[in-house]
Amino acid sequence: MTHKPPIYPFPAIVGQDKMKLALILNVINPGLSGVLIRGEKGTAKSTAVRALADILPVLQVVKECPFQLPPGEIQSVCVDCMKIECRASTLNGEPSDTVERKVRVVELPVGATEDRVVGTLDLEHALQKGEKRIEPGILAEAHRGILYVDEVNLLDDHVVDVLLDSAAMAVNTVEREGISFTHPARFTLVGTMNPEEGELRPQLLDRFGLCVTIEGIRDSEARVAIMERRVAFDGDPNGFVKKWDDESSKLVEKIQAARVLYPEVNVERSILFEIASYCLKVGVDGHRGDIITLKAAKTLAAYNGRKEVNLDDIETAAELALPHRVRRQPLQEIGIDMKSFTGRSK
Amino acid sequence: MYPFSAIIGQDRMKMALILNAIDSGIGGVLVRGEKGTAKSTAVRALADLLPEITVVQGCPYSCHPDYRQGICSACHDEEKKPFSRKMRVVNLPLNATEDMVLGGIDFGFAVRTGATRFQPGLLAKANRGILYVDEINLLDDHIVDIILDAASSGENVVEREGISFRHQAQFILVGTMNPEEGELRPQLLDRFGLCVHVNSEVDPEKRVLLMERREHYDADTHGFSSLYRNRNREIAGQIVSAGQSLTEVILPKSLTNFIVELCVQNNVAGHRADIVIARSATAIASYESRSTVTVDDIGRAAELALLHRRREISPPPPKAEEEKRSNPQNEAHEGPDDEQTDREQRQLEAKESAQSGLQESRRSDEQRGREKPSETETVFQIGPSFKVKSIFHNKDRILRRGSGKRSRTRTSQKQGRYVKSTQRRENNDLALDATLRAAAPYQKSRKSIHGLAVTIKGQDIRERIKEKRVGNFLLFLVDASGSMGARGRMIASKGAILSLLLDAYQKRDRVALVSFRKREAFVNLPPTSSVELAAKLLKDMPIGGRTPLSAGLAKSYELLRNHLVKEPSSRPITIIVTDAKANAAFGDANPLQESLKVASAMAQEDRVKFVVVDTEEQGVVRFGLAVKLAGIMGAEYFKIEDLKADALLDVVRISQ
Repeated sequence: MTHKPPIYPFPAIVGQDKMKLALILNVINPGLSGVLIRGEKGTAKSTAVRALADILPVLQVVKECPFQLPPGEIQSVCVDCMKIECRASTLNGEPSDTVERKVRVVELPVGATEDRVVGTLDLEHALQKGEKRIEPGILAEAHRGILYVDEVNLLDDHVVDVLLDSAAMAVNTVEREGISFTHPARFTLVGTMNPEEGELRPQLLDRFGLCVTIEGIRDSEARVAIMERRVAFDGDPNGFVKKWDDESSKLVEKIQAARVLYPEVNVERSILFEIASYCLKVGVDGHRGDIITLKAAKTLAAYNGRKEVNLDDIETAAELALPHRVRRQPLQEIGIDMKSFTGRSK
Repeated sequence: MYPFSAIIGQDRMKMALILNAIDSGIGGVLVRGEKGTAKSTAVRALADLLPEITVVQGCPYSCHPDYRQGICSACHDEEKKPFSRKMRVVNLPLNATEDMVLGGIDFGFAVRTGATRFQPGLLAKANRGILYVDEINLLDDHIVDIILDAASSGENVVEREGISFRHQAQFILVGTMNPEEGELRPQLLDRFGLCVHVNSEVDPEKRVLLMERREHYDADTHGFSSLYRNRNREIAGQIVSAGQSLTEVILPKSLTNFIVELCVQNNVAGHRADIVIARSATAIASYESRSTVTVDDIGRAAELALLHRRREISPPPPKAEEEKRSNPQNEAHEGPDDEQTDREQRQLEAKESAQSGLQESRRSDEQRGREKPSETETVFQIGPSFKVKSIFHNKDRILRRGSGKRSRTRTSQKQGRYVKSTQRRENNDLALDATLRAAAPYQKSRKSIHGLAVTIKGQDIRERIKEKRVGNFLLFLVDASGSMGARGRMIASKGAILSLLLDAYQKRDRVALVSFRKREAFVNLPPTSSVELAAKLLKDMPIGGRTPLSAGLAKSYELLRNHLVKEPSSRPITIIVTDAKANAAFGDANPLQESLKVASAMAQEDRVKFVVVDTEEQGVVRFGLAVKLAGIMGAEYFKIEDLKADALLDVVRISQ
């Protein structure tokens, strides 16, 4: 662990507050089903994701488990698992070797084939040796971590489908070539895309819980700050990270507290009406928008240490949850902020 | 599982599902509409609510204990006791392969014993359950064919990979689709018994209720479900008793005539609609415990059965549109009031340029070079869009990757239709039948390892060659010269281009846009898959000036060549929208001759397919230059009106 180069600290990222917020909310409440980040290159997208993963609390994982299972958990997939030593001990309920590691950020390359994503069976091996050998895919690797998909709009449609399906169900089912196996795949999905290179299908867009559009920062002071911090980080990474340690641990505490508080957050009926009328006003397709807005607002309240959702929460949540769900003409563009919609519908 | 009775609204969808549960002969439901409207929730909830079914334990085909098909070992084994379980909802993923759906050879068995055995697929799994296909319009066409075939015959017949096998496959088929993403072919639509259109609730009260229930469900799943247990049980009881008393419900003779009348009125093709209405109306009456069908039942059944079968009698609507198009004065009155003056202004300008255009083209070519062209620029609106005819490349033997729905191609992915096997190793997609056949002759001389019945070596391995549809690269070359502005032709042309773009979006193509006007050609949009951007640029495209056709052709050739260097296996389609009245050259030559020369040079590139869309007015004076251009390029030639796909014609063509 200590040999890895230090990672740029999350709180040290300048600006991009919406993106940071969306990521934090998803970490608190994975039920928000992912973030889609639309925007230009070089806007700290992957830095933010990696940095966030770096400060999250460590996980307990069975040593070298291809499915990232926590110790003591027996899954049906263990039966077919190729790791024989661990298989025997797990199935007998014996304690297995456990390691602690950080939350992993698994990247999905654009050229990824479906086999690589969902996992497959090595058929040639099976034919020559007469035994099944499951090769877990990226989804197995991403269990309990963050799945980062760069340029999600350039992926093959069916790969995106599989991704979003398992993200929603938290399970990955492989059913092909005469085999079927299921393994847990609970991960925070983060997709990025540059809208100029083509849109995602509306159906797929809708499956991403939150969506933020980010731009390069125009304020020259902030830009200078970015450069200064970057130079400082490159010059003395360890020192820089240490300098931000306090802020990082504060954020982690806040996230932990919010996770605990979330189930207790209350929503008044009048607030629900507010959400419903807001969604109707901007013209949202389906009901997922309402549900995600509500969840995001609750998470936001928990993040701010409140047990009551207020109107500001709703507004912030709506800006994250609705832009990509607003009903559009088939070839219309996606708006950037909610003001443009509310303005239009009046 | 979210309880069925806790779903708010969507009454028609719920009704359609219940009717299918009562009488599986109705033939499935197609749910069209927005995403996030509880479609899959409703289907899963219904399966959860329905009474358990009795099956032979361990039977992969879910045989009823009293009517065993006797095709699997479990059914032959009298020891196997019947047991009850919930009805299954089998989800058919978009990436389903043919073997996955139909079933294939059980490879483990084959290797161990040397005998072939059928490995059941999803259709077997769905027997006596529900088959749920999300976004059925995006599924490979041949897979949709397979499913619908099985659904209507109640049997899955497999004749492939050296196996011949059939088994029962009776299931309730539920498909969902978002029409924006492309339609299903009409004859596939017709196979679905019922069709409902779902929308989200517009009543804030209901939306709030929905959120509350959802939150409650997420927070306390068990407590929530128990609240609705009784209501669920009630519905289940109603469904069961309705199913039992189905045969006792009487459909009066006078009402059958009413059904026929309804179908004739709505211009429905075939007789499936009549039968479906009769069955659904009976099921409705039975569900509401009545012994005779009423007119009201038929009305409700017809609503569900005719939505996707109703056809406009085709001639009137397109004709009306054509009239509008050929009559710009009419069109001007169509615009909103505040735009009217603005548009009339444009019409005037357009007329002027039309006249100058006509005069221009009447003059001899030498004069044309010196003539001062009209340099005014106008931006025309986009005319009405329509569904376009299918334009695609002929298939070849090159392997490609990618998704999309336009041209058929050999694919290196594991999707698509298995056409044959090969010894080449490319995609790690093993063709089991061919591999076994290749290994068979050597079995005597090879020593058995690991106690397996068949010994397979590297040289026996065969792979599948598959075929599927992929998106193409579409290059639009648009004439934006002054002559295009004449008599609202650009409005119609823009409408046509937009229609082609919509089609491109649905087929997942990449597009590029090149236009030419004044003295040169511009690349408005380099190749991208953002059809949105193309549509936006099209909207703002100004018109005016001369027609440098040769420059436009040259520019698009440049773009095509670059694209082909990058992706040598791609097969671009170039769509040229012009009247071909070239009047500006980049050399000293006659503009038209020059254009034709460039065109014939371009036609040498046989990897590109050309399509010429003629925008010339269908009037007394016609030059037919675009026809000439198309002839030289070996291009497909369309007038704007011809681009329109006629649903009725399609039906005829495909059924032949």
